[in-house]
Amino acid sequence: MIEANLKVYRYDPQTAQEPHYDTYEVKELPDFATVLDALIKVREDIDGTLAMRCSCRSAVCGSCAFRVNGHAKLGCKTKVSTLAPDGEEICVEPMGNMKVIKDLVTEMDIFWDKLKQVKPWIETVGEPPEREYQVPAAKMVELQQPMNCIMCGACVSDCTVLEEDSKFLAPAALAKAYRVVGDPRHGKTKEWLTDLSEEGGIWDCTRCLECVEVCPKDVAPMDQIIKLREQAIEEGLTDNIGAKHVLHFTESVAHTGVLDERMLPIKAAGWGWAVKNAGIAIKATLKGKIKPLLPGSHPSVTEVQDVRRIHEELEEGKRK
Amino acid sequence: MIEYDVLVIGGGLAGMSAALHAGEVGASVAMVSKVYPTRSHSAAAQGGINAALGIEDSWEVHAYETVKGSDFLGDQDAIEILCRDGIQDVFALEHWGVIFDRNEEGNIHMRGFGGTDKSRTCHVGDMTGQTILHVMYERLLRMNVKSYDEWFVTTLLMEEGACCGAVAMDITSGKLEVFKAKAVIICTGGCGRVYEPSTNGLIVTGDGLSLAYRVGALLMDMEMVQYHPTTLPANGFLITEGARGEGAYLLNSEGERFMQEERYGATTLEEKASRDVVSRAETIEIQEGRGIDGCVLLDCRHIKDRILEAFHQISELAIDYAGVDITQDPLPIRPGMHYMMGGIKTDIDGRCYRHNGDGSEPLPGLYSAGEAACVSAHGANRLGGNSLLDCVTFGRKAGVHAAEYASSINSPNISEAVIEVEEQKIVDLFARSTNERAPALRLEMGEIMHTFTGVFREEAGLLEAERRIHAVRERYPEVSVHDKGRVFNTDLLAVLELDFMFDCAETIIASALARKESRGAHTRTDYPERDDENWLKHVAVYHTPDGPAVTYLPVTITKWQPEARQY
Amino acid sequence: MRVAYFPGCVAKGNCPELNQATQKIAPLLGIELVELTGAPCTGAGVLQAQNPVLADTYNAKTLALAEELDLPLMTICSTCIGCLRKSNQKLSEDEGYRAEVNAVLKSGGHEYHGGVDVTHILYVLIKELGLDNLRGMVKKPLTDLRIAPFYGCYILRPASIMGIDDPDNPTSMERVIEALGGTPVDYYGKTRCCGFPIGLENEEASFKMAGKHIGEAKDKGADCMVTPCPLCHMNLDLQQPGVSQVVGRQLDMPVLHLPQMVGLALGLSPKELGFSKHIISAQGVLAKVGA
Repeated sequence: MIEANLKVYRYDPQTAQEPHYDTYEVKELPDFATVLDALIKVREDIDGTLAMRCSCRSAVCGSCAFRVNGHAKLGCKTKVSTLAPDGEEICVEPMGNMKVIKDLVTEMDIFWDKLKQVKPWIETVGEPPEREYQVPAAKMVELQQPMNCIMCGACVSDCTVLEEDSKFLAPAALAKAYRVVGDPRHGKTKEWLTDLSEEGGIWDCTRCLECVEVCPKDVAPMDQIIKLREQAIEEGLTDNIGAKHVLHFTESVAHTGVLDERMLPIKAAGWGWAVKNAGIAIKATLKGKIKPLLPGSHPSVTEVQDVRRIHEELEEGKRK
Repeated sequence: MIEYDVLVIGGGLAGMSAALHAGEVGASVAMVSKVYPTRSHSAAAQGGINAALGIEDSWEVHAYETVKGSDFLGDQDAIEILCRDGIQDVFALEHWGVIFDRNEEGNIHMRGFGGTDKSRTCHVGDMTGQTILHVMYERLLRMNVKSYDEWFVTTLLMEEGACCGAVAMDITSGKLEVFKAKAVIICTGGCGRVYEPSTNGLIVTGDGLSLAYRVGALLMDMEMVQYHPTTLPANGFLITEGARGEGAYLLNSEGERFMQEERYGATTLEEKASRDVVSRAETIEIQEGRGIDGCVLLDCRHIKDRILEAFHQISELAIDYAGVDITQDPLPIRPGMHYMMGGIKTDIDGRCYRHNGDGSEPLPGLYSAGEAACVSAHGANRLGGNSLLDCVTFGRKAGVHAAEYASSINSPNISEAVIEVEEQKIVDLFARSTNERAPALRLEMGEIMHTFTGVFREEAGLLEAERRIHAVRERYPEVSVHDKGRVFNTDLLAVLELDFMFDCAETIIASALARKESRGAHTRTDYPERDDENWLKHVAVYHTPDGPAVTYLPVTITKWQPEARQY
Repeated sequence: MRVAYFPGCVAKGNCPELNQATQKIAPLLGIELVELTGAPCTGAGVLQAQNPVLADTYNAKTLALAEELDLPLMTICSTCIGCLRKSNQKLSEDEGYRAEVNAVLKSGGHEYHGGVDVTHILYVLIKELGLDNLRGMVKKPLTDLRIAPFYGCYILRPASIMGIDDPDNPTSMERVIEALGGTPVDYYGKTRCCGFPIGLENEEASFKMAGKHIGEAKDKGADCMVTPCPLCHMNLDLQQPGVSQVVGRQLDMPVLHLPQMVGLALGLSPKELGFSKHIISAQGVLAKVGA
C-alpha cells in the first residue's frame, strides 16, 4: 500500500472568480496506483465535488489528460510510485491551451475543431473494389503510429506554438493529417497537403518536441509533421517560406557542408526580410558577430567533396 | 426543443454506425453521448472483428461456430445476417480507412480467436476497436452528422405508446433539454460497472438498458454475462483473446496446460475454446487449489516475436499493472466480467419489443443496437471478435430501419413540460442531506454481483443476491450529492447512473433465477446440465412496480439443430 | 580528457563567440578538443524534412569520424546533440538501416559501426569532469549573480533519445550554475521552446515565445540567462530588440552561452569570451562578477 499527496487545481465558475488549490492525503492505494486512481479515490471517498473526466483507466479512451507537475500526462498512465517515490506532493492541474470548465475539466472544442479542420478522413477515388484495397503491409503498420492517438489532448495542452498562435493546427490534428495523407488509399494527397501548407499548418511547427515527450501513446506527432513536410515538398508544394527554408538549407549544406545562416533567410523569406532586418544585421556585423557577406567568408568543411557526393547520391536516389 | 427524425443515444461503434446509416438514407439524425464519442468503450476492444474472408472459410462456418458458441441460444436469423452481411460491413470499414493489418499480398490479415480453428479475426495490432471507432468518427465528421457530446439522457419520452424522444442534460452547463424524435436508437453499450471488478470503463453503467426497461421494453438473455478468461487481477483490465489465438498457453500452478484435460471438453481447441468454457475451467482450477493468488498463468513466452510485433498494448498493460514482461514471464490472469450477451430485445431490424399477453409486440419508435441490444446474435456466449461486428452490422440495420420508420410517421406531439419532472428529480437529489454515497453503494452492488452471479451460480446464492441488492437499493433514497452546482457535476451523474445500474442488477438476477439449467455463460451448479427440452428459449424480463417480471420467448432456429458442445 | 569536437554551424557562423569561448575554457578544464573539421551539418531537423536518409548519412559521417578517433563526440549545441543522437540511435539499433547508410558512406572512405557516445559540453562538465572538480577550478565565483538557465528543446527531449536529464524537471544547468557560485533562477519557461525554428515562417509567434521566457526570467529577478544552445541564443539575444517590440516590453536581458559563463568563473576576460559580440550588453553582469 502506498500514499499519494495531491495538490489539485480547483475552479468552480459558479462560486468563485479565481482558481485555488486543495491538498488531499490519499491513503491505502495499491502499489501500482496511478494518479487517476488517486484522484478517483479523492472523488469517491474524500471530496465528491471534484470534477474530472475518466473512463477506461487503461490509456485507450483518452479522457484523463491533466497537467501533472507542470506537464501534460495521462492520469491513468502515470504511476504515483514513479512520480513520488517518497510521498512527494503531486500537483495536478487542468490541461494548458484550453479554457477550464471546472476543476480538471477543460473545454476541448479547440481540439475537435482543429481535428475537423484537417479533414481527418480518407477520400478514395473511383469505385471501391469488391473486397478490400490491396495495400502494402508495412505501410499499414507505419500508419499505426499516428492511428495510436487516443485524442487525449496532451500534446495540444503543451504545444508551445499554440500557446502564442491560436491559428496553429497543433500536433494531434497534424498527426491525424499524416494518417490520412500517408494512407495509400487516399486519393487526394495533393489537395490535403495544399491546405496543410497554409498558414497555421505544417510549417508553423517549431519542432520543440514537447508533443513527442508528452504523448502517452508514442504517436510522436512532430515526426508525423516532418513526414508531411517531406511529402509536401515531394508534391512540389514549395511556394512558401517553410518549404523554401528547407530547400535552401539543404542546398547550402550540400554546397559547403555548413549552413550559411546569413543567406538562408534571404533565400527563404526574400529580400523583404533582408530589408526589414537590415538594422540588426548591420549592428551584428559591426560587432563582429556576423561576418560580412564577402567571398570566402563562409568556409567549407575539409571533406566538402564527400559531402557533395553524399548529397548527390541520395537526392538522386530519392528522385528515382 | 431540439427535433430530429432519428435520435441515437450513445456514441460508440453501434451508435455511430446507426447515425451514419440513418443519415445516409436521408433522415435528420443526431447522436447524444455522455462522453466525446471517441471515449466510448468500443475503443477498448483489442483483438479484432470477425469476417469469413479466407478461402478455407465461409460465412456458414462462421455462423455455425457462432451458433455453437451461443450454446444454441442465439437466434439463427440474426446470426446469419451477422456472418453473411457482416462481411460487406467489414469491407466498408476498410474502404473508409481502417488500417487493417495485411498479409504479404496486401490483403487483410486474419488471426485465430476463440471458438474456432479458423483464422477470421481482422485486426489492427491490438487496437482494433480504437481504430474502427476513430475511423467511424471521422466518417461522421465527413458526413457532418450532429453529435451532442457530453449530454446525459435522463429519460425516454413516450406518446401514445410510442417512443418519441428523450430528455437530456448538457453536462457542461447542467441544463436539461427536450429532444423530440420520431425514432430513438439506444446504443449505450453494456453495464459492466454493475460488477466489480470488470474490464469495462467507468462510463459503462447500463443507462440505456434501464431507460428502455422503464418505458416497457423487454430485456432478454440478461442472465448471460460473459466472463473473459484473461483479465488482470489488479484492476480487471483485459488481455486480448488474440494472445491465445496466436498460441499462448494457460498454465495452472503445477505448470500444466489444464485446457488439455478431457473434463473441460476442449481437447481439440484447448486454450482457444469459447470464453465460457475457458473461464469455467480456470475457475475450477483455482477453486481446486491449482491457482496462484486466485489466478492462473497466461504464458506467451514461446510466441514472443508475435507479441512484440502485434501486441503492444497488452505488453504495456502487463508491465504497467502487473509488473510482468510477458515475453519473459507468464502473466497471472483470471476470469473477469467483460460483456453482456443480454440486453434490450430487438429483432433483426433493431426494433425493440414490449410484453403483450403471453408474447411480445414491437414498441414503436424504439430501437437498439450493439451491446445494449439483444438481437440475439450471441445467445448464451459470444465469440470473441463478434461484438465489433454486431455493433457495425446491427447498428447499420437499426439506423436504416429507424430512418425509414421515421419517414412514415408524423412528428410526435410532446410538451416542453416534461422537463419539469426531470428537473424536479434533480432538485430533489440536491436537497438530500443524507449520508450515503453513490460510489460506496456501487461497490457493494458490484461485489454482490461478482460473488453470486459470476461464473458459477446456484439458487441459494441468487436469492441471497436478490435480497442483498434489494437492501442496497433501499438505501438509494439516502444517497446524497455533495456537489450542488450545475456545471460539469460528475457527482450528480454518479447518483443518476447508480439508479440505472440497480435495474440492470435486478434484471440479471431475476433472469438467472429463472433459467434452471446450465447453458453458455450461465452455469448453475444446482442444474449442471443443458436442458434443451425445457430451456431452449429466451428468458425475457419486463418492468413492473414489484420489480422484474419474467416471460419467455422462442429461439429462432434456421439451419442448425442443438447438439452436444465439444471444443 | 580528449573529445571529438563538433562545434556545429552556428558556433562557427552567427555565434562565433561560442566557439571562441569553448576553445578558451577547454584547456583550463583539461579537455582536449580534437575538432572534426570534415564533419557536415546535422540537418538541424530542417534538412530531415526533405530527405531524412541524407540527414542520417551526414550524421553517420560525423559519427564515423569520431569512431575513427575512438573518442566521444562532444557538441556545444542542443540542436546538434539532439539530431546526432537521434541518428545515432537509429543507426546503432537498426542494423539493416546502418548497412543502407554505410553503403553510401563507404565510397567516401568511412563506415559507421554504431555506439559512439554523443554528448554536450554541459554533460561533459557534470559526468566527465565532475562538479566538485569544476568547483575547485573556480577563480571568480558568480556570487550574487542570479542566472536563469534556458535549456533548449533538443538537449532534453525526447527522453527516449536523450535520457540524460529529466525532461520535466531538469537540473543539469542549475547544478553547473551552483558549482560556479551563482544562484539559479527557476521559471516555467526554462524547458520550453525559444521560438527560433519558426522565425521565418511565423515571426510573431517565434518572438512571442522568446519574449515570454525572457520576461518570465526577468520577473523572477534574473540578472542574465544562460543557454547551452546557440540557436536559442540567436532568438534570445540577436533578435531581442525585435522580440522586445513584439511583446511591448523593454527586456534588456543579457544572454550568456554556457561556456561563457564557465569562462567567467574560471577568470577569463570578457574579451577572451567574445562578450563584445552580443547584441544585448552583458556589462552589468560582468561588473557584478568583477570581470
